[in-house]
Amino acid sequence: MSGLDLITTEVIHNYLLSAAREMERNLMRTSYNTIVYEIRDFGLGIYDRHCRLLAEAPGLAIFTRGNDYGLKKTVEFIGEENMEPGDLLLTSYPYWSSAHPMDVLATSPIFACGELVGYTAIKLHWLDLGQKDPGYVLDSVDVFQEGLIMPGLKLYKAGVRDEEIYNLIRFNSRLPDRVIGDMNAQVSACRTGERRVSELVEKFGTALFNQAVEAILDHGERVARARLAALPKGTWTAEDWADDDGVDRDIMLKLKCTVTVTDDEFIVDWSGSHPACRGPMNLPIGLTEGVSGLAFKGVSTPDLPANDGHYRPLRVIAPPGELMNALHPSPTFFIWTGILAPEVVCKALANGMPDRVQACSGGDIFTVMGLGMHPETGVPWLEATNEAVGFGAFAGNDGEDAIMHVSEPGCRNNPVEVLESKAPWIIETYHMRRDSGGPGKYRGGVGITRRYRFLHPSTVLTLVKKTKSAPWGMAGGHNAEVGHVIVWPDTEKQERTGAIYYQMDAEEVIQNNSGGGGGWGDPHERDPQLVLDDVVNDFISLDSARQHYGVAIDAQTLTVDEAGTAALRAPAPTGGA
Amino acid sequence: MRVSVDVGGTFTDVIVLDEDSGDIQLDKVATTPANPAEGVLQGFDKVGAQTQQIEYFVHGTTLGINAMLTRSGAKVAFVTTRGFRDIYVLGRTDREPMYDFKYKKPKSLVPRSLCFEVNERLNYKGQVLHPLDVDQARAVAQRIVAQGVESVAVCFLHSYANPEHELAFERVFQEVAPEISVTLSHRLSRVYREYERSSTTVIDAYIKPITRSYLTRLNSELVDGGFDGTFLMTRSGGGAMTLDTAREEPAHLVLSGPAGGVIGGAYLGKLIDLPNMITVDMGGTSLDASLIADGEPTVENEQVFQTLPISVPTIDIHTIGAGGGSIAWVDEGGHLQVGPQSAGADPGPACYSKGGQEATFTDAALQIGFLDPNNFLGGEIDIDPALAEAAISRLSGQLGMGAQEVAAGIVSILEAKMAGAVRVISVERGYHPRDFALCAFGGGGAFVAANISRELGVPLAIIPPGPGNFSALGMLMVDVVHDYARTHITGLVDMDPAQANQVYTELAAQGQSALASDGFGADRQQYLPSAEMRYRGQEHTVNIPLPGVTLSTDDIPLITERFHAAHLQQYGHSMMQDPIEIVTLRLRAVGLLPRPDLARVAAGSGDLAAASRGTRMVYDRASRSRIEYQVYDRMKLGAGDSLSGPAIVEEPSSTTMVHSGDELSVGEYGELQIKVAQEGDGGS
Repeated sequence: MSGLDLITTEVIHNYLLSAAREMERNLMRTSYNTIVYEIRDFGLGIYDRHCRLLAEAPGLAIFTRGNDYGLKKTVEFIGEENMEPGDLLLTSYPYWSSAHPMDVLATSPIFACGELVGYTAIKLHWLDLGQKDPGYVLDSVDVFQEGLIMPGLKLYKAGVRDEEIYNLIRFNSRLPDRVIGDMNAQVSACRTGERRVSELVEKFGTALFNQAVEAILDHGERVARARLAALPKGTWTAEDWADDDGVDRDIMLKLKCTVTVTDDEFIVDWSGSHPACRGPMNLPIGLTEGVSGLAFKGVSTPDLPANDGHYRPLRVIAPPGELMNALHPSPTFFIWTGILAPEVVCKALANGMPDRVQACSGGDIFTVMGLGMHPETGVPWLEATNEAVGFGAFAGNDGEDAIMHVSEPGCRNNPVEVLESKAPWIIETYHMRRDSGGPGKYRGGVGITRRYRFLHPSTVLTLVKKTKSAPWGMAGGHNAEVGHVIVWPDTEKQERTGAIYYQMDAEEVIQNNSGGGGGWGDPHERDPQLVLDDVVNDFISLDSARQHYGVAIDAQTLTVDEAGTAALRAPAPTGGA
Repeated sequence: MRVSVDVGGTFTDVIVLDEDSGDIQLDKVATTPANPAEGVLQGFDKVGAQTQQIEYFVHGTTLGINAMLTRSGAKVAFVTTRGFRDIYVLGRTDREPMYDFKYKKPKSLVPRSLCFEVNERLNYKGQVLHPLDVDQARAVAQRIVAQGVESVAVCFLHSYANPEHELAFERVFQEVAPEISVTLSHRLSRVYREYERSSTTVIDAYIKPITRSYLTRLNSELVDGGFDGTFLMTRSGGGAMTLDTAREEPAHLVLSGPAGGVIGGAYLGKLIDLPNMITVDMGGTSLDASLIADGEPTVENEQVFQTLPISVPTIDIHTIGAGGGSIAWVDEGGHLQVGPQSAGADPGPACYSKGGQEATFTDAALQIGFLDPNNFLGGEIDIDPALAEAAISRLSGQLGMGAQEVAAGIVSILEAKMAGAVRVISVERGYHPRDFALCAFGGGGAFVAANISRELGVPLAIIPPGPGNFSALGMLMVDVVHDYARTHITGLVDMDPAQANQVYTELAAQGQSALASDGFGADRQQYLPSAEMRYRGQEHTVNIPLPGVTLSTDDIPLITERFHAAHLQQYGHSMMQDPIEIVTLRLRAVGLLPRPDLARVAAGSGDLAAASRGTRMVYDRASRSRIEYQVYDRMKLGAGDSLSGPAIVEEPSSTTMVHSGDELSVGEYGELQIKVAQEGDGGS
């Protein structure tokens, strides 16, 4: 094969994408943790020697983008010159890894033809690293309460495992067996990526490979710039609020975002957001960049597997020491600020391009986690699931019903049968939440309801931070029903809440109601047949059809009452005044 | 006489084997979508098959998967446990495109309004928490009937552990509407995960009415024609099942068509002593890749078709949108892309003169000289090379590259994608392609076989006889198969063999009774036990063959060794210190059919002059020049003949490319064996 051409570039690009998928399969199939193999709580990719993303596999989108920064910082700290074939490094220092310490970033240098040619990177949720509370941390006040910090530790040096580091990890975890099993799966998947990429480079030679890398990234940039050119230009601002920081429970946290679209830049400025907070809702800058990039990718190149080139027009501004740019030792464990952030970017854009962006989704990932001592096996259990939300409607179509939040596209729910087999609880119901989608010409998607009854005293955690400010509608569409958690429903002590860390007794119940998506456009303009379909399929009630959509439906025949609808939709008589 | 018929989307392939002489006759007729049985019977006429002489009729069809793809299956009601109406419609709530905030799910096979709840509840051990409420179940059945439903899928929570409530609902439903078919989840899968089991159940219910009516009609037309033999259907998981089983469990028919090619590959591999084989079936719109290790197709117990999971054993076939009709286009970044969109059969490639404007893989192959415009598909289709050139020139204008270069690029990019598909079922499963031969068939397989092999480091490519009908040929080679599984969780080291043996006694009894009713005597029954195993704490399992259906503690070291080795092979690591557990015991019961012999072809003279069709100039991307290829007629080559690339071997349904450095020889069954020059050998 002589010099690089477009065709060879595409051949190499396809190979890298398949190598990333192979890493994913390897990780999924050998892990020890339902949070990995059922929920897919991970992000992984293949990078070039300058830590630029070449290929990724579906998982947590905010992990993958945060990894870019984490990898750069790890390599900076250790030094490229100190990388050897067979090394494997672990990073859990949150200001670098761009996640909390339990989301451990594993990276390994890839060598071929005697040279460093790139890196693998996988971030994976480890079940326990000795953080202050089992399961998750809702109210840390500094990073030292958040788990074992690993600043680019070489777990493997030149292919040989460092038993001291291995033991350090093992002895710092409340769930050492599962953590070590997952760590092995992560190592194995990194090794798979290394092998694949080094085979590729050996085949084409480093010079050609490096040229192809530039061509792939430049191509990514060209596509992103072509899409950027098609966007309206201007500056727009929006705000939204997260519930609280976990420590000061009465203070809502403001996310303020100003987006400027110019001919060659997409600038996301978080100035004016809440200052650093006392609790763990501060975001490391790598994650702020990652979630801003997620929104940019969604409006520019949503159809393409990501590479570094797609993000070149993006610039992110966040004043150091504030909520969106945490400094050591600010607590950062509860990264939910980053889940809401991409929605706020879109909310700002909605002011300038209402036909291009969607209304707010349910706005959260609605995690429920349980843990305790299993009464039958006598060993500690820990299970969790995230929940789907309604997607925001947009010009031209309804928001999808019950789908994982934009920040976690590859993630899945944890099946009822799996949860019940592994933990002492019964799921009483799991279904879509009627009338939770925002009414509009295009309806917002509905959220879900899942209800748990504990069979044994247990700890329950809910990881939810958008229960106070409703998912917004757009262009005359209505807001959606906000998501929330109900503890002890239908009892005297019933409590409607967001993030909690409670002890539950046997037979006590908790209900998770995820948020719907906002509507788009005036609901009176919705086709009455579509309103009828929604009633027949139980996405909306007859009351909502009448009250919000102005559609009268005969409950017996399930047909649209045309005359009744015309009357409901007639403009209200304007008074004198 | 043994006859097989593979009904595809466009063509129905028919093969007749005379078991005494080993002679085969093959042909194709157009598929008749309105009544596929008509096409089958036309095919019989065309090959001269006398219905009353047919001993075994083996049939594969894409009817089921087409109904799924086009959402043209039955009106299905889904029935589940109170409180969980949405478990099927919700699915796993995930999505494949990562960044699409406007994502819309594919249309559900069952609308939410046809999902119903029954008052009943089991726990994960199968213990009854709430007994099934018969009166309420009957009311649900009546509501379902009132909706005009054609087929019912039932999946209750934890029914894998205890099927009692599903069976009770079936009894209630049959009292209300005995004419409507009911699929119960536990009959298809005894594995937990309610969505995947529901999806399997719904797929079965969705394709059951059309499959039943089609099979019933075909069978009665055959019987009317004097057919008195055995009617078998190829299964997704390998082997075949009887007509009666197929009517009851069509979920096993989803990959019935493509499975034939893999079975044929395994059979051919045994004949010519190549037990490790990758099969590649390239048609007009898609490519199917699969892998055979040690003579056995690889089988997965969970698969996903077009986002729809199915949990029945299924040959691991990976399909991508890459075929002769794949369309080339230029993206916004100025790069050439090929597929996954296809021009299909209509309008087809630009050169078909049927109005297609876009350049396809076929147009590119014609442009660079791989294909002969005067002998396309044996001269059955008239094509216009000028239209291909015009379509490609439009792309070359956009790309600023010469038309030849663009055409060669289209071929290379699609070959790279196809190599990627093969990587999924080989490298990604821990198999190295250099340990395999690549068996290529379908209309386009022979065309790309050598280059795909080179890309992957496969040393030998095989083009079977009749590559255009090879799936049908494979169907002649089936045995009858029933699969059984039982969840049986136990540590390997401390396992009690007596308990496992008890499970196998029960599973084997089921197998014996099924095979006996299929008409197999004890001397024609075979039992293949295996266990799904994992390191304790893992979820996913690796399936390990067991030494026999009667285990003793002496077998444990061997099983342990096999598991560590398989885990290492598939995932690149094993954990020798970690405890291993058995999760599921599986048993495959096989009814052995007499194995037909393929006829050997006559030896060639070694003189290729009679087979020569002259030469053709072909554009070569590496040297950017035209190279002369010798052209031969495959029908005139005999066993032992050999030739060197660059050469083209033509036959009516297919064209085989032999590039510079590649060496082709004809095997004793007429198969072409191409020794592929590897990169670094000085070949292209």
